[in-house]
Amino acid sequence: MSFIAVEGKQVELDEDGFLVEPSDWNEAIVSIFAKSEDVEELTEEHWKVINYLREYFKKFGMAPMVRKMCKDTGLTLKQIYELFPTGPAKGACKLAGLPKPTGCV
Amino acid sequence: MKPPLNLAKESDVNAIGFTVTRPEDHKQRTLEKMAELRDSMRSLMVMLETCTKCGNCAQQCHSYLGTGDYNNFPAARAELMRRVYKRYFTTAGKMFGRFNGAEEFDEETLSKWVTYFYQCNECRRCARYCPFGIDTAEVTIAARHILSELGIMPKFMQSIASAMIKSGNNMGISKLACLDCVEFMEEEMQEETGLDIKIPVDKPNSDILYVPSSADFFTNVDTMIGVAKMFHHLGVNWTIPSSVLEAANFGLLFNLDVMREQNQRLNAAALELGASLVVQGECGHGWRAAKMYTEGASGPVPFKIMHVLEYCDEHLHELPLRKLPMKVTLHDPCNYSRGGGIIEQPRRIIRACVEEFVEMTPTGADNFCCGGGSGLLMDEMLEIRMQLGKKKAEQIKALGQIDYLAIPCSICKAQIPTVMKHYGLEGFEKGGVMDLVGKAMIYDKPEEE
Ligand code: SF4
Ligand code: SF4
Repeated sequence: MSFIAVEGKQVELDEDGFLVEPSDWNEAIVSIFAKSEDVEELTEEHWKVINYLREYFKKFGMAPMVRKMCKDTGLTLKQIYELFPTGPAKGACKLAGLPKPTGCV
Repeated sequence: MKPPLNLAKESDVNAIGFTVTRPEDHKQRTLEKMAELRDSMRSLMVMLETCTKCGNCAQQCHSYLGTGDYNNFPAARAELMRRVYKRYFTTAGKMFGRFNGAEEFDEETLSKWVTYFYQCNECRRCARYCPFGIDTAEVTIAARHILSELGIMPKFMQSIASAMIKSGNNMGISKLACLDCVEFMEEEMQEETGLDIKIPVDKPNSDILYVPSSADFFTNVDTMIGVAKMFHHLGVNWTIPSSVLEAANFGLLFNLDVMREQNQRLNAAALELGASLVVQGECGHGWRAAKMYTEGASGPVPFKIMHVLEYCDEHLHELPLRKLPMKVTLHDPCNYSRGGGIIEQPRRIIRACVEEFVEMTPTGADNFCCGGGSGLLMDEMLEIRMQLGKKKAEQIKALGQIDYLAIPCSICKAQIPTVMKHYGLEGFEKGGVMDLVGKAMIYDKPEEE
């Protein structure tokens, strides 16, 4: 557990560096997380995935099935890994402010 | 000595109904818990008394072979508890203390317990090669249970237990989310086959209750799809329970009372939906927990429990399968092949689905663990996990080019791809056995062009 300073505010992270409070999420946090998840430059495609994940999470309280994420965003799994090298369950969820998926992932 | 894993903080430990024991009370509480286990797990005490240090198990443990750490030699690992047992539970230990190889219980011992009992995959391979059948996995299970009773548990296990309390599954999938996933999978099957293949959720008066792994609702979609296609073709009356969308039972891997609670959830769901047969999905340790402990947790139960690979194997001749042009090998999940009664079934299924099946060496009951067994999937343990997976990588490498590595267990499905990548082994697919069944099923599309 640790804290990061985002625009003058202390934001709490869990052991894996994910947001403890999903409501703390903002665009500045995305840029900070991007560095630790090997995302060099945030493109429109990154935002498409991030926004999609946030929408899904708001509705269903969890991350979408990986294949559904691909189908709905029109990206292949390979492209998702290119965008988020640490993977859909880790990098993509973390940047979108979702909690870390638990279980066998 | 700092353990290489993140431990749950006190508020998280409390959130799942555990309390944290103060350091000054660690010894007393540990000895109390050991005394309880001495009475409830008789085999454990026999194992703690018997080892002759012959060394046979050393070369059989992938954890010792991969990490090269002496404390991961099975007999040395068990010794971490054996010394405490000798000191406090045997006459010689009580009288002569340290002289008898006995050890005082202190914080250093405790920290070694956390470190090394969480580097044992509970694979039970050591037990096959020990002249006395000493099963270090049982010692590990006992040690992890005691640690959790002190409030010491990995954050990884705690967060799964917390999700289990909220939703009945490891991933925290609510019924709403479950229905959305099901709708998606039904659409996928409709697009592929042109058929209206259903995945019924919470359907009352079902004959079969199918218990998937929750990871099938996140990453391993094809496993669930394969199962749905099979049940559809057989025309059986089946359902999945949204209250126990989970074949796994992480209680077995860190706290035995948590395991019993999950067993009881399963029992309640089967009773509620009226099922006379519970079919467990592709999950290794969950199979052990369901098969060996459901009756223990709930008393005699009015249903039969089968594994999906047993069920599929029994009905194999009824399924319209073609052989896919693939070269496939099988990784035997430890909890299937060592004491789980599942060795030949997946092989018969795979042979029916693909042109070429090859065995890795060793295989079946002698197979090496993937290195993720017992839930060692923590990100912070990645480096150690790769060492634990070294033997598996060597086994796959020795096969040369393959097209598909069948891994019918969700923990293995999460661990193996990372291991393969780490050791530079790529260019083949990885997935379940039921995935292959789904892909090999022959459909005459109604609107075939
Ligand atoms: S159960 Fe497996 S990992 Fe644990 S000590 Fe035995 S061989 Fe090693
Ligand atoms: S093989 Fe059995 S008796 Fe020999 S060292 Fe290992 S646990 Fe002890």
